[in-house]
Amino acid sequence: MVSYTVSHQAYVKIILHSAKYPHKLVNGVLLGKRVGSDQVAIDDAVPLLHNWTSLSPMMEIGLDLASGYAESKGLHVVGYYQASERVGEVALAPVGERMASKISEAFPEAIALVVDGQQVGSESAALMPFVAASGTSWRPVSSSPPPFTLGSTFSLVSEKSPTRAVALIRESRLHEKFGDFDDHLEDVSIDWLRNEACNDPVP
Amino acid sequence: MDLPSALQKLSIYRSRNTRASQETFDKGLLVLKGNGLKKLGDEGWAFLEQLALAAIDVGRLDIADRCLQLLTEKFPGSPRVDCLNGIRKEVTESPEAALAYYNQLLEADPVNVAFWKRKISVLRRIGRIDEAVDELIELLDTFYTDVEGWLELADIYSSCHQYTSSLQSLSHVLLLAPQNPFYVLRFAETAYTAGDVPLAIKSFLNVIDMADSDEDAPIEQVPSGFQVRAWLGIKLCSRRLLQERRLPSPSQTPVPEHLQLIDELATERLKTVYAGRDKSDKEAHEILEWLSRG
Repeated sequence: MVSYTVSHQAYVKIILHSAKYPHKLVNGVLLGKRVGSDQVAIDDAVPLLHNWTSLSPMMEIGLDLASGYAESKGLHVVGYYQASERVGEVALAPVGERMASKISEAFPEAIALVVDGQQVGSESAALMPFVAASGTSWRPVSSSPPPFTLGSTFSLVSEKSPTRAVALIRESRLHEKFGDFDDHLEDVSIDWLRNEACNDPVP
Repeated sequence: MDLPSALQKLSIYRSRNTRASQETFDKGLLVLKGNGLKKLGDEGWAFLEQLALAAIDVGRLDIADRCLQLLTEKFPGSPRVDCLNGIRKEVTESPEAALAYYNQLLEADPVNVAFWKRKISVLRRIGRIDEAVDELIELLDTFYTDVEGWLELADIYSSCHQYTSSLQSLSHVLLLAPQNPFYVLRFAETAYTAGDVPLAIKSFLNVIDMADSDEDAPIEQVPSGFQVRAWLGIKLCSRRLLQERRLPSPSQTPVPEHLQLIDELATERLKTVYAGRDKSDKEAHEILEWLSRG
């Protein structure tokens, strides 16, 4: 069994992205690396789109650019993430399945993380992992113990990330400084690959 | 922030239909509490509608209800207020209850576009996509010129991977609003996703043509905004077509003749966007690298 860890930076970025466009579907990719033979460390997240998320040209280019950036950091694109425009919806959209399948061609252990809007305000990780089922279809991980609980194959590097992410939104309004590839295409000075203004020290 | 600038900003949001809910809410609350409503005169009612929607978006139902109460008192029986009340119901009541509410309103006023669209939106939200599509097609049969409706239909189709149907809906949009480059851009991106690269590159080029025909714009300007997106699209398509000229085109669109030149032009245009950013801004590095891949 491969286990996955999600860094503070990756977690915070995913939640900031979903908070910036609460009424839209947002997506992006996960950057990370293999650690040993049975672990994948998700170190960072790169936000792609919030407009026209069912259309592929900008997604293809964004993925290409994110892969190039990952390489320069000694990382790979190891997965996909998405937050739905509806709070109660924790399903991987068809586009997500296609993207995740594409990513898994280059990185077989790729996963998809979908934001669980109802969990964002809580102290636990608001993420539902999806793994490849068959062909291009993906299924939510229904392991025991459940993902992101003690003893599960999915864990956060810092268990304070969920509380901290919410505080960054409510108190610092950091999501307003966050930008994705769509934002970049409207204003090329927006640094969507790094989002340095949103790097938060690990709590 | 002071009252006059808040009022000004809110008025801009209203005229542009901007859904910046948190900002609208913060500024709106300032107006409401600062007794700005009286200063607005007749515009005050449009402001209350705007604030009610933003308050629902950010989950401050207390403020939404206050706005709704003022509006209901002023305009009893107004369809526009009925519609707002419906949106308010959608937050706390079941989708079935919201549907029943809209159905009841539609019985009394069968061709009210606002009620009809809310109903369609609820159907879509609860996954009754087929019904949503049927209703939307019926609505567009009655109100052919409703661009927003065609865009919604295109969006539903593309979210269900029916890109050819999505393209058809968008072609109605292009007929109805031929001047808007954003619609052409969306058409181009949909064509690419549908696997029609020749149609996509032709449409991306149209976007650039439309921007260039703006007579006030200086010639040889650095591309910005949606033009950057269009040039990236052109580059993506020309690169693929140069690798394989015989990519399929269900619409039988011919491949542009001077493909190599178009490809070089796209590279040059995009380089001007990022040139100069290279040293000050790390951002440019990855794009320039991507362009140089040929």
